[in-house]
Amino acid sequence: MRVKKGDPLAEMRIRVIDYKDEKLLSRFLTERGKILPRRLSGISARHQRQLGVAIKRARYLALLPYIRGHST
Amino acid sequence: MTNPYEVVYIFDSALEDEAINQKLDQLHAMIKVEGVDAPALNHWGRRTLAYPIKKSTTGYYVVANFETAPKLLPEFERTLRLDESVLRYLLVLNDNPPSTAQPPTKGEFDDEED
Repeated sequence: MRVKKGDPLAEMRIRVIDYKDEKLLSRFLTERGKILPRRLSGISARHQRQLGVAIKRARYLALLPYIRGHST
Repeated sequence: MTNPYEVVYIFDSALEDEAINQKLDQLHAMIKVEGVDAPALNHWGRRTLAYPIKKSTTGYYVVANFETAPKLLPEFERTLRLDESVLRYLLVLNDNPPSTAQPPTKGEFDDEED
């Protein structure tokens, strides 16, 4: 049986996701650096929207890669 | 009218620390408004970029929080874009002032070391 888990961010008592917190953000990326869908991340819609923006800002600042494992 | 902003600068890591401080002073003089505190700076220092920017693999990161009038920003951003020692910058409205500090230090009487 699949058990519905709560929002991991709500459990960590995070209200606003900081785009500078790359450690936190990288938990919601696939090994290739894609953003985990809500069905896998299990976070609330509100948090998922915030997370998307935060990850994209972090990518722009080269804190996170756009694609992991891509050599130039 | 002022709004709170946050800027993250990524400078060319070949730049001397002194030159970076000088540049920051110059930049922040442009967005100075009477009666507003000086920008709160947080130097992250040199770190590896997740991907190369302008052929650089490392950059010097500085986070600045400040209040300024929106009308000063176009000129400020223009200067940043023209400056080749700024690899990249991100200017965002700081709608969440409490969580900006890097290490979460809460309580004024809390003198914990980390």
